[in-house]
Amino acid sequence: MLEIKNLHAKIAEGREILKGIDLAVQPGEVHAIMGPNGSGKSTLAGILAGRPGYEVTEGTALYEGRDLLALSADQRARAGLFLAFQYPVEIPGVNNMYFLRAALNAVRRERGEAELDAGQFLKAVRAKLKELEIGDDLLQRGVNVGFSGGEKKRNEIFQMAMLEPKLAVLDETDSGLDIDALRLVANGINKLRSPQRAMVLITHYQRLLDYVEPDRVHVLSQGKIVMSGDKSLAAELEKRGYAMLGDAA
Amino acid sequence: MTAFAETAPYRAAFDAQRRAGEPSWLADSRRAALARFEALGFPTRRSEDWRFTNLGPLRRANFAPAAQDAAASPDLARWLYPEKTHRLVLIDGRLVPALCDIGVLPRGVYLAGTEATLGQRPDLAKALLDETDRLGGQAFASLNAALFADGFVLTLEPGIVLERPVEIVHLGRAPQRSSQLRSLLRLGEGARATLIESFVGGTDHWTNAVTRIELAPGAALRHAKLQDEDKSAIHFAQARAVLEKATRYEAFVLNLGGGLARHEIAVNFAGEGAACGLFGASLLRGEQEATVATIVDHAAPGCTTREYFKTVVDERAHGVFLGRIAVRPEAQKTDANQLNKNLLLSPRATVDTKPELEIFADDVKCSHGATVGDLDETALFYLEARGIPPAEARRMLIEAFAAEAIEQIEDDAVLHAHLAKHVRRWLDRDEDEA
Repeated sequence: MLEIKNLHAKIAEGREILKGIDLAVQPGEVHAIMGPNGSGKSTLAGILAGRPGYEVTEGTALYEGRDLLALSADQRARAGLFLAFQYPVEIPGVNNMYFLRAALNAVRRERGEAELDAGQFLKAVRAKLKELEIGDDLLQRGVNVGFSGGEKKRNEIFQMAMLEPKLAVLDETDSGLDIDALRLVANGINKLRSPQRAMVLITHYQRLLDYVEPDRVHVLSQGKIVMSGDKSLAAELEKRGYAMLGDAA
Repeated sequence: MTAFAETAPYRAAFDAQRRAGEPSWLADSRRAALARFEALGFPTRRSEDWRFTNLGPLRRANFAPAAQDAAASPDLARWLYPEKTHRLVLIDGRLVPALCDIGVLPRGVYLAGTEATLGQRPDLAKALLDETDRLGGQAFASLNAALFADGFVLTLEPGIVLERPVEIVHLGRAPQRSSQLRSLLRLGEGARATLIESFVGGTDHWTNAVTRIELAPGAALRHAKLQDEDKSAIHFAQARAVLEKATRYEAFVLNLGGGLARHEIAVNFAGEGAACGLFGASLLRGEQEATVATIVDHAAPGCTTREYFKTVVDERAHGVFLGRIAVRPEAQKTDANQLNKNLLLSPRATVDTKPELEIFADDVKCSHGATVGDLDETALFYLEARGIPPAEARRMLIEAFAAEAIEQIEDDAVLHAHLAKHVRRWLDRDEDEA
């Protein structure tokens, strides 16, 4: 699904952030990438999604065997890659439903599926809300406008559910959530796990992993993956802190 | 008197007009107005109010008033309001009764052309010939007072609430000619109405409109205007509103067309506790230039002004916002704010924005702000990261930018949708031309 080899990247006209990342994710797997602040977690997420402002200086990233880095952000999304933003953007004047229908229809066109009209879309939305057990209170508002932190993250999960990506990268989706919001978001993520779908959870804390059990855990430090293991690695990190990276970092 | 070469053709047009049968007071008023125009000449960039305006297009031809147009019926369907209205249609500044659809007006409502009104309702003549242009050195308002042929008049008796909107469609059709429109809106105490004006056509045509608005205590008027003329059109419009006690005037201007456009809205608060909301959006590209100039005179206490104007400027277009708010010493408890937001989509696009607050009372709340910026990169990326192609993402953000201005109009879904539809038409035109 995703194969990253020796990926080096820097901030455009800035310092090098990623210094040789290797990562392979198979369909159906959930990988957690953990690491201290400034280790390059969000840079990795941004580069996978095509966020402007970064420059890949070395290495490759293949998505379903295609050169991911050669695609524009919108092409990646239509090809089935989804980034849940750490800081979802507020877009005043763009209605959440209008936005999501435009996005879903763009993805459907790409898949060769018929576009949904307003009625069909509403039906699909209602079904998905029910499945995720979330309310419809955010739908008629501007995209993320005036949403609380929890509401924004809930909106990201809802978008992910509607767009049905093959590979989802969730960038610190757990940060800033109280325990109820965290449960809601984790519940959404678990419901979207499937043998066809891969997920990469980027997180600072082990907390989310109490609710979403990862297949693999990687520790990112100073732009490199310094440790990989199963879910027990997360627990060990929680106990000992990132200081345990010590010399490895 | 200084002779200005540019005024001479209009003197010639004035002398050539046949106005047999007009009463002598009207002829006198016209002559005096023409003399004021000749004394002023065209405004120049030395005048603060016209500093940012390029009058070049107006000098390229002599836009004498158009003659009566008897040509075939135009297709106006795309501009018509989506719900039933009391509709007047004017072509080249003259009412065309065969195209009007006034329907049944409630008792106490008068809706007619200006020319007809001058004959039938001498009581309204004084307001129609209002000579406030004397005060402000308004050359084009003076010219309008000299040359106007027609326009529209709407009056409501006290207490009348007009359920359906009044719709006025102005079509400019004669090239190198002008529509000199003079109109009057008068609402009696507690009366309420909605007016939708659309200006369309106008290839190589000059529209020069002067509208007087009088709201008696407690009256409320919503006044929406769409200017979607050809890119070769010149469009000048002045609305002068006098607001008595506890009135509400809400104006919205959607400026999409015209090569050179200027919308001037002057509000005079003449009674306590009145409110005005002046809103609008201009979307400009190519060589278009559009000015919105607001002049609000707080001459009475406890009045409220809300101004919210947005401009989208692409290619080599030029947007101008002039916002003057004067608060006189007696106008305590004035609450006024003004916001002008500009979106520059091209390195050669320009905007000038000039707020001007003159405050002579001490117990007031006044604020103003202006922003100039590009499309929000993080918002663009967010949309693209959901699969929306970049061109569509840009379009959504431009539409949203204009929508924020449209949403300032309170509680009128039909009007919101009507204006939003025309914004989308403007965006579609972009793709057609590309």
